[in-house]
Amino acid sequence: MTALRALALALLAACALAPLAAAQDAYPSRPITIVAPFPPGGVADLHARPLAAAMEKVLKNPVAVVNKTGAAGAVGMQFVATSRPDGYTLLLALSSISIIPEADRLFGRQPAFTVDQFEPIALLSADPTILVVRAESPWKTAREFIEDARKRPGQISFSSSGVYGTLHMAMELLSSAAGIKMRHVPYGGAGPAITAILGGHVDALASGPAAVVAHIQSGKLRPLATWGDRRLASMPDLPTFKELGYPDAEFYIWAGLFAPKGVPEPALAKLRDAVRAAVKEPEFTGAMEKMQTPIAFKQGEEFRKFFDADARRLADGVRRVGRIEEKK
Amino acid sequence: MLETFHNLYLGFAVALAPSVLLYAFVGCLIGTVVGVLPGVGPLAGISLLLPATFGLDATRAIVMLAGIYYGAMYGGSTTSILMRIPGEAASVMTCIDGYAMARRGRAGPALAVAAVGSYLAGTVSIVALMFLAPPLASFALRFGPPEYFALLLLGLLVLAYMSSGSMVRSLAMAALGLLLGMVGIDQMTGYFRFAYGVVELGDGIGVVPVAVGLFGISEILATAGQARPPEVLKPRLRELLPSRREWRESFGAIWRGTGLGFLIGIIPGSAHVISSFVSYAVERRLSRTPEAFGKGAVAGVAGPESANNAATSGAFVPMLALGVPSGPIPAVMLAAMMVHGVTPGPLLINQQPALFWGFIASMYVGNVVLLILNLPLVGLFVNLLRVPYPLLYPGIIVFCVLGVYAVNSSVVDVWIMVAMGLLGYVLRKLDFEPAPIVLGLILAPMIEMSLRQSLAMSDGHYAVFLTRPIAATLLAVGLVLVLLSLRPLVTRTLDWRTRLAMVEKGEEL
Repeated sequence: MTALRALALALLAACALAPLAAAQDAYPSRPITIVAPFPPGGVADLHARPLAAAMEKVLKNPVAVVNKTGAAGAVGMQFVATSRPDGYTLLLALSSISIIPEADRLFGRQPAFTVDQFEPIALLSADPTILVVRAESPWKTAREFIEDARKRPGQISFSSSGVYGTLHMAMELLSSAAGIKMRHVPYGGAGPAITAILGGHVDALASGPAAVVAHIQSGKLRPLATWGDRRLASMPDLPTFKELGYPDAEFYIWAGLFAPKGVPEPALAKLRDAVRAAVKEPEFTGAMEKMQTPIAFKQGEEFRKFFDADARRLADGVRRVGRIEEKK
Repeated sequence: MLETFHNLYLGFAVALAPSVLLYAFVGCLIGTVVGVLPGVGPLAGISLLLPATFGLDATRAIVMLAGIYYGAMYGGSTTSILMRIPGEAASVMTCIDGYAMARRGRAGPALAVAAVGSYLAGTVSIVALMFLAPPLASFALRFGPPEYFALLLLGLLVLAYMSSGSMVRSLAMAALGLLLGMVGIDQMTGYFRFAYGVVELGDGIGVVPVAVGLFGISEILATAGQARPPEVLKPRLRELLPSRREWRESFGAIWRGTGLGFLIGIIPGSAHVISSFVSYAVERRLSRTPEAFGKGAVAGVAGPESANNAATSGAFVPMLALGVPSGPIPAVMLAAMMVHGVTPGPLLINQQPALFWGFIASMYVGNVVLLILNLPLVGLFVNLLRVPYPLLYPGIIVFCVLGVYAVNSSVVDVWIMVAMGLLGYVLRKLDFEPAPIVLGLILAPMIEMSLRQSLAMSDGHYAVFLTRPIAATLLAVGLVLVLLSLRPLVTRTLDWRTRLAMVEKGEEL
């Protein structure tokens, strides 16, 4: 039953590109689709589903989640960027929405989409990454870590979720802020990157707090600092890089809701109200609590400012990393 | 030891509670259906159904998802045997001898051997999982990129050493597979390779559309091209069960497959699929009648099917003991646990003993459920072969298209499947084996990634492969294999491969 439903939804999403009779009725008059550009069980998906359930309740209109995956999220994002701006196709994007077009530009490719093609609706969560090292490693504080990295450039290694991925960018922002150089070993996803540090194959990792908290509690990993602009509620003893004197090392793994640019204002207003109400619904708050991800709701000008600053930081980061060329 | 049994007792108390039992059964049932549908493998099945478990409590949800996982691994053999369509990548090897058996009217025995082999492999490897999980898990963590690379290289050498027939033809196909595996975003630099502006190709060419195309679609095309349609098989009831000889031949294969699969399954990475390839190669090498492989050798079904089910349990070792995923499917299972507020990791076993042991016990129960579910279904499935071809084949194609599309909602995947079907048809006419293409496609990204990660770790020094004990040992074993295969050149005796090729050509020794 559910499999059929999922399949039907997938087919429905594929048909969404086909021209549909323009609805003259008040928005929303037919099911809304939220595209999660990553597979089920990923961060985007785990935000999209409870949000859809809560919005459904608020709007009294079906809201479905479709996972349109591929090319590190580019496939789903491009799909929404070029879909009809009628408010019936939305995107649940992560920070990578600002990275992908910049990386495309770097390689001289026609970008699959640009950030200007999206209308930001709301920020749902923004978890700062934290720096972790193995418990046996010599560094007890972030200061020791950075000093050692400065003494031995290119010797301390870190794993990441992939080249230009979120976990990579966090480390690059730190490297440039602190003037250090570390050795990058990319993995295919955050899970394998955590496995790599647990197995002792790399020295350090930037990670979302929820993904490593169990390993910190079990004494396998040690947190050194956070990229947030203030300390984490769950780890109040952990200093921020800002406190340590590196204000440019600020980075969040965030999730937000977007629409394609050009959605009529009445529909947008309705959507904004719906999301504002939805994030207070137990469907959404309960799910976020279980994922140990604090809700960071921002809307309108506030979200746009956050989004623009973040996009600028990430674009700078991508350009600073530059093209990765083979060693001569 | 005693404590383990006490805990297991607790686990069975959880797993045999009617509501949990019900979800285990539903999971196994859905998994079997998912596995039987061509193209839709366990990963797609779990991913699609994950949201449906959001309303359940953690234990039920995990038990149901695990049921889908191993149910799909069971079900994957069905279409491979009956229609030469691999339900998922791990069933590719089952296609070869399983389908050959079906064409000889032994579909029932092939399905029964696959089910019993899967059951034994599943059950034995859960016992291993229970007692060996903690020590094995920390050993598995020592497998970093250099060890992984050495293992994959060894796997390739084992396969090359043990494959039969024309080495040149096998290697040519493997090379084609490796080439196809180069398509997509370069994981180390972010360059698009051979994508020609198609964003969907950024993730590379999927294994499922290629396997379904090369095996299934090409088979349908070839049958349609025959002047006279093949006779519709009419399986008789007494032919459903394997003969005594078939049992004897599968017995050893099942145990070897189980051991092999479990060990390969533990290692983090996505090498699980190669367990079935290696098992097939080993069985053929050990067989007294290697020439029967490819023409319906029952050991060629029993070994790989046991291996891929044992690998399923093996994959749970790092997930349960350490909270780290050993592949894409355990990764989705971990996400499912997070959704239900269970933090997977080393503390899980102490914090949530009911969930942990209930899960272990439910795997025993699930394997029994699957056996009970699958053996009677053998009779039903075999009757599918009675459907006349003009109805059966279009139906199969529809399911292939739907299944391949559903995995990523990608039309590009469907086109890849069609192209691979045509390629498979041509290769069949020219007498090339398609299996090495699939293997090459699976291995190419993994070998490349692990090699380049190793070099990134060592700052470009190849010595990293020799200074790490596990990697060095694996490479040394590989070297011995290479030397062994060179021996006939020196001693001028006929080795088994040459003899086999001569037997196949019908020549006298």
